[in-house]
Amino acid sequence: MTTKTLNIQVNARNRAYALDGTSNDKILNLGLSNAVDLPYECGSGTCGTCKARLISGEICDQWPEAPGRKFLKLKKGEFLMCQCAAKTDSVIEVESFVHTMEAGACVPAPLKGRISSVKLLTPDVIFLQIALQQTVDFDAGQFMLVQFPEIVGFRGWSMVNYERHAKTLDFVIKKKPGGELSEWLFNNNCDGVEVDLFGPMGNATFYSRLAKNILCIAGGSGIAGIMSILSRASQDGYFSQYNGDVFFGVRTMKDAFFLDELSVLRGECGEKLNITIALSEEAAPDDARTDYPLLTFDQGFVHEVAGRHMEDRYQNLRAYLAGPPPLVNGSIGMLLRARVTTDNIRYDKFS
Amino acid sequence: MSWKKVCAVAEVPENALEKFEIDGIEIIIANYGSGFRAFPPRCPHMEEPLCDSGVLFDGMLTCTKHLWQWDMATGERTGIAEKELLFYDVKQEGEDIYAHVEQALVYEDDDDDEEEEDDDDFFNAD
Ligand SMILES: Cc1cc2nc3c(=O)[nH]c(=O)nc-3n(C[C@H](O)[C@H](O)[C@H](O)COP(=O)(O)OP(=O)(O)OC[C@H]3O[C@@H](n4cnc5c(N)ncnc54)[C@H](O)[C@@H]3O)c2cc1C
Ligand code: FES
Ligand code: FES
Repeated sequence: MTTKTLNIQVNARNRAYALDGTSNDKILNLGLSNAVDLPYECGSGTCGTCKARLISGEICDQWPEAPGRKFLKLKKGEFLMCQCAAKTDSVIEVESFVHTMEAGACVPAPLKGRISSVKLLTPDVIFLQIALQQTVDFDAGQFMLVQFPEIVGFRGWSMVNYERHAKTLDFVIKKKPGGELSEWLFNNNCDGVEVDLFGPMGNATFYSRLAKNILCIAGGSGIAGIMSILSRASQDGYFSQYNGDVFFGVRTMKDAFFLDELSVLRGECGEKLNITIALSEEAAPDDARTDYPLLTFDQGFVHEVAGRHMEDRYQNLRAYLAGPPPLVNGSIGMLLRARVTTDNIRYDKFS
Repeated sequence: MSWKKVCAVAEVPENALEKFEIDGIEIIIANYGSGFRAFPPRCPHMEEPLCDSGVLFDGMLTCTKHLWQWDMATGERTGIAEKELLFYDVKQEGEDIYAHVEQALVYEDDDDDEEEEDDDDFFNAD
């Protein structure tokens, strides 16, 4: 059976784009893979940022229960571009300005891969490596949408590794109580499972020509994208010139992971890189400091700990925030009060 | 309609956003240090409740959902914000704050032309 080509016209605030796709293509993915930078954040139906309005034609909503639909005015034909595909030629309207991606941007595309390594890092965090059928370029700090067979829907996962022409992608996944895919990963042997991916996505990206000090605040699995950023910065010798301050929030020492990897990065990058582990539910045990002499430990919510340690060191700085939305929102408030401008705040809310 | 007393000055400390209801209309009073502003309770972008998502500092209101910003002194949008915030006139008299509230201010998009026409049809019908 051949799949008919459909024309989807996107009327943005500044101009129109004509896209050729099929009824299998989510409209967001179709735009992004044509380097049209449609608005989105989660890419997976929760945040509502990708809303658009159907002007003519017919669409198919692949997840009518998506939480992001609470942001829509359904009567006005609004829908989530990340969950809907066109059924016929369609014209849609996007309220915001939409530009094409800059030359050299890593344009997202559909990918295929296979789980090639799985390791439990803490009782509720799993490390997972996906070997890709083709190589992929991504920026440090980006994420992929990943779909498992038999589990409906793509999940956003941030890459931990950083390399050009990557053949494998590393992820850390936190078990979400009642979460369909994360619980499945903990209860099944997923080694060798074939998965579909779409990406890379996200604009909380780091590149060395940034030429600014960097501040990273992460909670739980939010450390994933920060590891990628640190990896790239370390490869480029970035911290010989600029400061890096990393705050990694977990509940207790039992929930902490990547402490060896963070110690190695601190060793490679030297004194301009400070890494602090913030424990929200306990004081740091004495042996933490002896076991990880290159890391700092403190108690409190991670953005509060960051606020205490940063004091007035916010000049010429770009901040990267990742993790649960309350942590990211709290960190944004802290940064605004420290007079960090919004163009220097990049975030991924793991909604 | 007229100026309505909303609250006492002391109820809205500097850099605070407080929500009040006047004749069934919800409004936020913002104390930006050198003055007060009154505006509808939801972000003009995606209707986040600004009392929770808003951060007021240095005379700037930021919605933390997508970082849209408005300058409280000039009332203008700045940075990546794509829509203006709508304001009720506000004044301070003695220890109290008053707002000029005739009807709830709604963002253009919340009240589509078609629907307005529908409403007219409804009222003018037959
Ligand atoms: C930008 C971004 C980066 C992220 N990075 C990470 C990371 O590095 N590590 C990590 O642990 N978590 C990350 N998350 C969170 C992650 O995407 C999942 O939400 C989380 O792992 C829970 O998944 P779950 O399947 O267990 O939970 P569930 O509650 O079952 O599902 C979670 C999400 O899956 C999608 N989904 C569920 N059902 C459907 C359906 N029927 N159709 C379509 N979509 C559906 C939705 O997006 C939903 O919110 C990230 C999230 C975002 C937005
Ligand atoms: S990008 Fe579609 S709901 Fe978040
Ligand atoms: S909802 Fe307020 S900025 Fe988007």
